[in-house]
Parts: sequence; C-alpha cells; structure tokens
Amino acid sequence: MPKQKILIVDDDPDLKKGLNLRLRANHYDTVYASDGFSAVMMAQKERPNLIILDIGLPAGDGFVVLERLQKNAALATIPVIVLTARDPQTNKERTLKAGATAFLQKPADNAELLEAISAALDQPPGTMAQS
Amino acid sequence: MDNGLMNVLLIEDNAGDADLVRLRLLEGGSHVYVSCVDRLSAALASVAQQPPAVVLLDLTLPDSNGPEAFRRLHDQAPGVPVVILTAVDDEEMAVKTVQQGAQDYLLKGQVDGKQLIRAIRCAMDRQALLTSLETSRQQQLQFKDEFLSHVSHEMRSPLASIHQFVSILFDGLAGPVPAEQRDHLETILKSINQLQAMIHDLLEATRAVSGKVRIEPCGIGVTEVIQGAITLLRSATQEKQIGLELVVGPSLPLVYADADRVLQVLINLIGNAIKFTPHRGSIMAKAWLEDVDPGFVYISVSDTGRGISPEAKPSIFERMYQEPAALDNIRSGLGLGLYIAKELVELHGGRIWFTSQLGEGSIFTFTLPRFSLAGLLTPVITHQGRLREALVLIKVEVSPPPGTSAFRRKAASLCCREVLQHCIYVDRDLVLPGLGNSEPDEIFFIVASTTLQRAEVMLTRIREQLERCPELKASGAFNVSASSLELPTAHDEVRLEKLVLQVAEHVTDTVVLALRRPQNFKGISKPKPADGRTGKRRTHAKAKNSDRRR
Repeated sequence: MPKQKILIVDDDPDLKKGLNLRLRANHYDTVYASDGFSAVMMAQKERPNLIILDIGLPAGDGFVVLERLQKNAALATIPVIVLTARDPQTNKERTLKAGATAFLQKPADNAELLEAISAALDQPPGTMAQS
Repeated sequence: MDNGLMNVLLIEDNAGDADLVRLRLLEGGSHVYVSCVDRLSAALASVAQQPPAVVLLDLTLPDSNGPEAFRRLHDQAPGVPVVILTAVDDEEMAVKTVQQGAQDYLLKGQVDGKQLIRAIRCAMDRQALLTSLETSRQQQLQFKDEFLSHVSHEMRSPLASIHQFVSILFDGLAGPVPAEQRDHLETILKSINQLQAMIHDLLEATRAVSGKVRIEPCGIGVTEVIQGAITLLRSATQEKQIGLELVVGPSLPLVYADADRVLQVLINLIGNAIKFTPHRGSIMAKAWLEDVDPGFVYISVSDTGRGISPEAKPSIFERMYQEPAALDNIRSGLGLGLYIAKELVELHGGRIWFTSQLGEGSIFTFTLPRFSLAGLLTPVITHQGRLREALVLIKVEVSPPPGTSAFRRKAASLCCREVLQHCIYVDRDLVLPGLGNSEPDEIFFIVASTTLQRAEVMLTRIREQLERCPELKASGAFNVSASSLELPTAHDEVRLEKLVLQVAEHVTDTVVLALRRPQNFKGISKPKPADGRTGKRRTHAKAKNSDRRR
C-alpha cells in the first residue's frame, strides 16, 4: 500500500521540521506550505490524503484556506485537521463549521495528533463532502 | 460639580441641628449645596441615585445607630468621603469609625463654618487619594494577570518545539542514541514536562481569576475518575515506593460533574500528597456518602506526609502560596495546584477543606453534588408551581458503522449533543446529560414539555440539523423518535417535588431500559442504609458502573 501523503501548512519552520520527522517516522509522506495561498496550490498539485492546517497564516489565514478547499469539489473531500494556538472556545466550532474534520490546540501531544490523523484517514472516501 | 457647587449630603434627624449645620456651611463658603435626609434608608437611596461630594453623618439616627450606620453607608458607596458629625463625644467610637474608613469625627458644638469646610475639603482630598490608590492597585493586579497569561501563552510554542525535538532525539528518529545520552535526554524531557505543567497551571489560574473556566457536567462515577488519576500517577508513586490505595463505599451514586475537571482536581491533590510524603509512605483515596449531607459525594485524599504547619493553614488555598518550610527542600511548582483545585470544586457547587497534623499527614476532602435527574428536571417540567400539562421523551440514536475509531465516535457524539442543545427551548426542554466517564454517548434523550403532536416540529428540526453535521454524516445512520411520557396524576395533597420525582423515576426507567445498563444508574435513588456502607472495595475491584453498554 502506498504511503499516505500529508500536507503540513504552518509558517513556523521549526514546527514544520519537527512534525515532518514525526510523521515520516510514522510512515507518512509529507509536503508543506507556509502560507494560505500556497497551501491551496499545494493541495491542488499534490492531492494529499490529509491536511494539517494552522489558522494564523500569511496570505490568507486558515479560514480562507478552508473556504477555498470547500469550494473546489476535488479538494473538499480531503480531511483537514486544524492545529492552532488559538483559543478553542472561540475557534473550534467556527473551524468545524468551515469544513475542518478536527480541531487540536497547539502544543498538541504527539500521540493525540497521530490518533487524530489516523482517525481522519480511516474515513471512507467521499463522506467528508459538504452538502 | 456641574453647577460648580459642592454637593453635601447631610444625614441628620434633628431639624434644629440640620439647620445649624446648613447655616455653618453657608457662612463658611458659598459654593455649597446641602441636601438633608433624616433617615439612613433615605440616605442610602439618595447616595445610590446620585453620589454626593461628601456625606456629613450623624451617628444617632432613628433607623440606625453608631458605627453600624457608618458601615452600611460606607459599604454602599466606598468612594464617597464620610465625615461623622455628632454630639457624642466618644473617643473610642471616633477611633473605631476612622479605622473603618470614616474621614473625620467632628463634634457638632465645636466646629465653626470655616473649620467644617476645611474638614470637608481635606476629607475629599484624602478620599480621592485613596480611590486613586485603589484604582491603580486594581490596574496593577489586572496588568499582572494579563502579563502572566500572555507570558505563559508565549512560552508554550518554543517549549513545545523543544519538547518535539528532544523527543525526536530520544525516540531515535534522528539516528541511534547511546544509552548514556538517552538517559540525559530523558532527564531533559522530564524537566520540560514539569515546565509545561507549570505553564498549564498558570494559564488555568489566570483563566480562573477572570472567570473563564467552564465546566460541562454530566452524570459520572467518581470511582472511575479516581482510578484514572491513580493510573496516571502510578509511576511517580512507584519511584518513591509509596503505597496508593483506593477505598470506595459500595453503591456510590453518580455525581453531576465534569470528568476532566474532577480528574484535574484529583491529580493536583494526589500529586501534592506524593510530593510531601516520604519514601515508603502511603496515600489513600476514598469516596463515600455522608448521612448528614446526602446531596453530595465525599472524596478524600490522605497521606502520611509532613503535614501542614499551623501558620500555613489559613493560606493554603491562596494563589501562589508555598509553605515557607517547603521552599528550601521540596520546592517545585508554582503554588497554584490547590488554588485551581478549589476553584474547580466550587464551580461544581462543592466544597474543599483539609485537616492536617504536623509530622503525621494531611487529609484533603472535597464534595461533588450527586447527579439528580429530578433536580435537573424541576425547572424544566414545572411551571408556576405545577407540573407541565404534557411531556414527551425524545430519543436520538446515532449508530456509527462497526470499526469506527474512538476519536471519530467522540467527535460525532459531541456534535450531536451540540445540535440537540440548539434544537430545544432551554426553559422547557432538557437534553439529558451524558452518563459515564469515557465512552462517547450514542443514545441521547430529551425531555420536552410539549405534546406528541407538536413534538413532530422539533423532531423534524433535529433531523435537518443532524443531517447537516459533517461528523454525524460520516459516522452513519441516526434515528430520532418520540414517545409521550405518562404523567402522574396530581392530587392536592401530593407535593410537586414528589410528582417531579415520579417523572424522573419514570424517565430513568425508560432510559436505563434503552441503554441496557441496569444497575447503579439511579441518579434519583435514595441513600442506601448505613449498614451497607461498611464494606470496602479495593483499587483493582471494578466499579459497578464501569460495566457499560457494549
């Protein structure tokens, strides 16, 4: 079975690097983008199986990215895990409504993140589409 | 003053004295407006409506007397300067009232107009100074809280990054690591974990101060939560060879609490016990019912540690408190654990306290309210002292396909509960809280004050909303149905509480039947007779209500 590909979208290079190592060690392929605009471009080009998305981003924040993904039928089915330092009390519901699959607060525990990833990936294809 | 006049409120019941004072004030300076009342009650009303620049207070009033009159006035308007103007030449009273915050104590016969005006001006200046001091103190406190919150928030990201990369090294993801280096890395990781825990506590504490901590209570078994805390702290006790035992009374009822928050309280209490208990000491966690206080479940953590010194006792729950004697040798943490524990327990409506003998150990005890379905139903199914005319029980069942991960089931469960909360009228319908600690709910119940016919509207709304929820859609089918609840017949002599209790019993029976979870879920059951409580259960014994639906 080919490796699942994960797109990491975060403007913090350290976090990206660390996450990359972690995910590769757990047999995922990774690609990245560090701003909202290239996030959508990368999603188009790479067609990842999952996206890990920060909210505070240059050139289109996480909400803009979610909206663009939802508008594109081919990308709307990709599960998105939002990983942000922002307060879940004010942001969680909003991101889920915008089409995210899960909301995790930074700093997220490795085990927690890996569980969220495998949970999001075992979803049968097509079920994530918004009506 | 808008009109340039100094607004003086004179509280004086003797009309002659009042006129005299008014006269003195006018002769002392023309820019004075005097309003006079003869009762404290009238003064309180006047001050509430428009605070004067200064109050002149007589201490012998028909509706209040002596320092009491001053205290009530001062409590209501702490920022308004008060000068006592009395005929009672009582030095002791003078000292007492000034200590309590009066600006001056003058005798009616002994001051002329100029002196009175001067006294008033000084009083106003001093009061202004006090007020600005208090304002800046408040600002500094607020600044400190914001600063702490900001700093701890900002420290989290770099710390997370350190944690990530050290654990990458430790796990050998960046190449093989020799045993000795691994050992050092483990030490670093431990310190990082401590630092992260401290920052977490700081954020919690600042949230608690600003009232931002929320709890989401449901019916939970405390035994499971205590066991969870014990499991999490097992390695710490093993390191110090401390025995950790759990003693639970039989048939403990469910409590109405937030499992995560209760776990936090227990980790703080047991963590402290471990910290202050020497090698080979012992710690015991207990949960039981108290006959004199049947509405609560009691939980205690006792240790054979150093105990708490008498001087430390009054301050132990204060923020940032550390016992001075503990500072030298076992200082760790920020002194926030007990403060947070207290805040969390009180948010649940419980109490927390301790007893301690220096050198022998401490016992921390807290209470959590018992889960009472009748208590939750009362405001919803009664109206103007009577039971509502019709009640419906709505059942919503989510059935995720077999093999769905726990994470996804939980997400679906949370989403469903949220949807249902949005579909009801909070003053007349109730989404029954979840029961149990860990398993996500898959069957939900709503008690709605409506007829079966009218409930159809709600059912349609629920179906529509559930269909829109992405998590539920992914997790498979759901089923929404309603049945009417049989109402107990109200005789005049049957009390409302009893009727509510009957409805609650009926709902419970239906729910238990649906969940196939027969025993121990009787949020409404009476306390068991005392003889049944002497038996003890050990840690490894499984809690009854952990026997959950499959």
